[in-house]
Amino acid sequence: MVLHKRKNKKNKDDEYYLASQWTLMGRKFKKHKLAMVSLWVLGILYFVALFGNFIAPSDLVAYNSKIMNAPPTKIHMYHEGKYIGPFVYGIDMERDPVTKRKVYSENMDEIYKIQWFTHGCEYKFLGLFKSDLHLFGVEEGGAILLMGADSMGRDLFSRMILGSQVSLTVPFAGTIISFVLGIIIGGISGYFGGVIDTAIQRIIEVLSSIPSIPLWMALSASIPPDIPVVRMYLYITIIVSFISWTGLARIVRGKFISLRKEDYVMAAKISGVSNFKIITKHLVPGFMSYLIVSLTLGIPGMIIGETSMSFLGLGIRSPATSWGVLLQEAQEITSIATYPWRLIPLFAVILTVLAFNFIGDGLRDAADPYK
Amino acid sequence: MSDYILQVKNLHKVFTSKKISVKAVTDVSFNIVQGETIGIVGESGCGKTTLGRCIVRGIPATSGSVLYTAEDGETYDFLNIDRNKLKELRKDIQMIFQDPYSSLDPRMSVLDIIKEPLEANFPDMSKDEMEYKAIEIAAKVGLNTSYLKRYPHAFSGGQRQRIGIARALVTHPRLIVCDEPVSALDVSIQAQVINLLKDLQKDMGLTYIFISHDLSVVEHISDRVGVMYLGKMVEFAETEALFSKPMHPYTEALLSSVPVADPTVKMDRIPLKGEIPNPANPPSGCYFHERCSYFLDKCKEVSPEYCEIRQGREVACHRAEELDLRGFSYDE
Amino acid sequence: MDGKETIISVKNLKINIALDEGTLTAVRGVSFSIDKGETLGLVGESGCGKSLTCKAILGINDKKCSTEGEIFFDTDAEGEVDLLKLPPKGEQIRDVRGKQISMIFQEPMVCFSPMYTIGNQINESTRLHITKDKKKAKAISLDMMKKVGIANAEKRYDQYPHEFSGGMLQRALIAMALVCKPKLLIADEPTTALDVTIQAQILELIKELQKDLQMSVLFVTHDLGTVAKMCDRVAVMYLGKIIETGSVEQIYHDPKHPYTKGLLGSVHKIGTKKQERLFSIEGTVPLAMNLPSGCSFYDRCKDRIEGVCNVKEPEVLAIESNHTVSCHAVSRTIKGGSSIE
Repeated sequence: MVLHKRKNKKNKDDEYYLASQWTLMGRKFKKHKLAMVSLWVLGILYFVALFGNFIAPSDLVAYNSKIMNAPPTKIHMYHEGKYIGPFVYGIDMERDPVTKRKVYSENMDEIYKIQWFTHGCEYKFLGLFKSDLHLFGVEEGGAILLMGADSMGRDLFSRMILGSQVSLTVPFAGTIISFVLGIIIGGISGYFGGVIDTAIQRIIEVLSSIPSIPLWMALSASIPPDIPVVRMYLYITIIVSFISWTGLARIVRGKFISLRKEDYVMAAKISGVSNFKIITKHLVPGFMSYLIVSLTLGIPGMIIGETSMSFLGLGIRSPATSWGVLLQEAQEITSIATYPWRLIPLFAVILTVLAFNFIGDGLRDAADPYK
Repeated sequence: MSDYILQVKNLHKVFTSKKISVKAVTDVSFNIVQGETIGIVGESGCGKTTLGRCIVRGIPATSGSVLYTAEDGETYDFLNIDRNKLKELRKDIQMIFQDPYSSLDPRMSVLDIIKEPLEANFPDMSKDEMEYKAIEIAAKVGLNTSYLKRYPHAFSGGQRQRIGIARALVTHPRLIVCDEPVSALDVSIQAQVINLLKDLQKDMGLTYIFISHDLSVVEHISDRVGVMYLGKMVEFAETEALFSKPMHPYTEALLSSVPVADPTVKMDRIPLKGEIPNPANPPSGCYFHERCSYFLDKCKEVSPEYCEIRQGREVACHRAEELDLRGFSYDE
Repeated sequence: MDGKETIISVKNLKINIALDEGTLTAVRGVSFSIDKGETLGLVGESGCGKSLTCKAILGINDKKCSTEGEIFFDTDAEGEVDLLKLPPKGEQIRDVRGKQISMIFQEPMVCFSPMYTIGNQINESTRLHITKDKKKAKAISLDMMKKVGIANAEKRYDQYPHEFSGGMLQRALIAMALVCKPKLLIADEPTTALDVTIQAQILELIKELQKDLQMSVLFVTHDLGTVAKMCDRVAVMYLGKIIETGSVEQIYHDPKHPYTKGLLGSVHKIGTKKQERLFSIEGTVPLAMNLPSGCSFYDRCKDRIEGVCNVKEPEVLAIESNHTVSCHAVSRTIKGGSSIE
């Protein structure tokens, strides 16, 4: 038994010694519980965004003036003590005689059963396959509003899910752009040094001293308002990433300079390894882990950037949607006081930002397995 | 054809930043015969590491030349050769580093680390041959060849230093600059590595420039020793001559400070006044005069010339001839 | 022992470190004592547990370390006290720490805060332990700075650490450690980071001050040269155990343990005849995580006896007065030796 144990131990050692940097990093990351939970949360969010059109019961353009600002509908199982499965009642609207405000109540006479895998409005799944299959829906004539409706009678739940397709992916596209810009410009700055470095650093300083909101306003004003949503989306990505590469370029430059002084870089140089090889084999892998960490920590900033742009009315405009658009529509005080469900997208933003931050934390702790 | 494998001539290195310029190496010259070991000693900041790095072209020298006589008998100035020739000769002059931790890329497996110089210098060599050569050299430096797929973090300091040695040797160089190769190691491991370096020298006909602050290690391994102070070579001689009868007061003081591992040998230190001056602002005349117990007025003004006083003895001191300085007594 | 006063005696000290991978026993039953005015050298290679032992005396080890055993110290106030039994943040241990036992470290650069002047930092310990009076405290601190050979002490008092060279900083650190005139000074590799000429100065300084203040010194190092110059007695550590103790002459001229022999053999002595190869100990120090049973030096030992050394841990054997060794091979050859617990 003792022997068996020792053998096991040896295998474990071997595994550790043969483990590359990424394996060690992964192992350490898995020990960070909060980061792992966040990873699951984000996984679910992105899954929902991917299958958004399928999960959302209605699309972006459908509206119903009879249910403007209707509260979330309740889902029932029993009607007058009799089990008939999940269903919703019809919605009745009255005006409050004093305040003249619309008041909604359930119409107990109308019963609309919830159906699974129903056919509803048409959409293109991933922009490729035409389909009209939805995860759930109610019988013709009824309305299911899991998170209530907005001022035009659109289903908020559907809009939030479809909005996540924008809000969760703009940051990624933006991140990739700043990633590339940051590595190239920061790398040039750090590797060549001297005048080039000074010039680039000054440009970065100027760029990051421009207040971001006026810059966004100026840039988005230059985008013609009548272009299609997809192109709009692209422009916004570029605008958001326009500023965030500067921080990244600085990190890259700093890492470049500090790694260039490492003895193993000197050793490679003395062995006759070419500059290009030194950069790609020693320098870039050396700071890649740091870069990924700072990128992960940068994504929440991008999400908030997109959200705040849309919130200011500079980004995506209705009927296309993002979480920022939804929040913009909810920005008057009346919504908070009387239609609190319209703030639900806010929690989605908070959840996502927190999840990214926790993952970034976990990655940062795991980033340097040798220290 | 030259008798020497390497001739360092009037090497200067000045580091300049915005405001100050520091003369790290000033006018250093010495010659190395094939197969010998030159020890370079001095305290921190004396420029010995910079000197080593300039010789291997790790950092560019400010001026001076390093004449290298290649295997074909031709002599080239290693610091000023064209790119193609450099590519050809680079593999002949390699380096072993002090810190066995920072000198190995933690992201590469040991095999890849040892193979790297081959990939850079022999682009036509097949993968299998490279691997074979790397394994061969790893076995030679005493590494367990079944562990080569592992990453550096799996190895202890002494083994890491062996990996560094294997990397330096894989291209079969002729000259190796060893920059404090054992300073970071434990005593018992130091002895192993020094023995290994000696064995390899015999085996492969290597020439060493051995840079260290540890006088007993240098005395053990070197044939000739140079002493550096504030960027200048102050004395250069055969090891036993230098240790038994130093001719520069700084060498004398340095030798007298070495604690010998024997409680019956009492330390009789020659006190040095003050501290090492700031190299950015060295004293006038002889750099050492402020701390020297033998200085004359002349020393304050005139910098002594570094010259050959006797066959094989170079000193930079005005009073080298007249002073009778104390070193270690070599009995037996 | 014949009229000599024992300042500190460490008995069967064990230190465990809790790591992610398991518990590591870094110090495995270390015992030694130091008399008044004596210098004990604790010699060993990196990872043998010498620094942990020192820190355990002051009670400044990490939270991850759990310490067992006894450390009796002759305190001013209450005579002999087991330091390990004192509450770790209590009044008593704080009175001992810094005032009666103080420590100097390997890297003086990291021991000073760059934000305060040197004088300020030396004065901190003066005002904590000696007098609250600002003027008196400054006078005492300045006096100490002069004593450790800091020229221009008045001017230096108001300078910041970055204005000091490495050697000067080490002097300042010694001043800080000795300003309260401790009974015991723990010097953890005090000269390793320094150049030879500076090292010699610092060693001489410590020796002088020791005579002056009549203190005991625990001198921790891996450098056999400095030990020979500094110490009266030597304890050699290997993998968390003291494997040989003796007077400095006994250890250097008549080492018994194969490890001590190997260690001394691997250092080249300048002035001796040139030998082609240095004597070296084979192999590397095993990880303290999974130690072999029996003697921990077994794998690297030249005199190992199979079936004995790898089965049972050797006991402490007294060869002469003050000279003890833990080795099966030695106890076989020496008949007169008697085993002590």
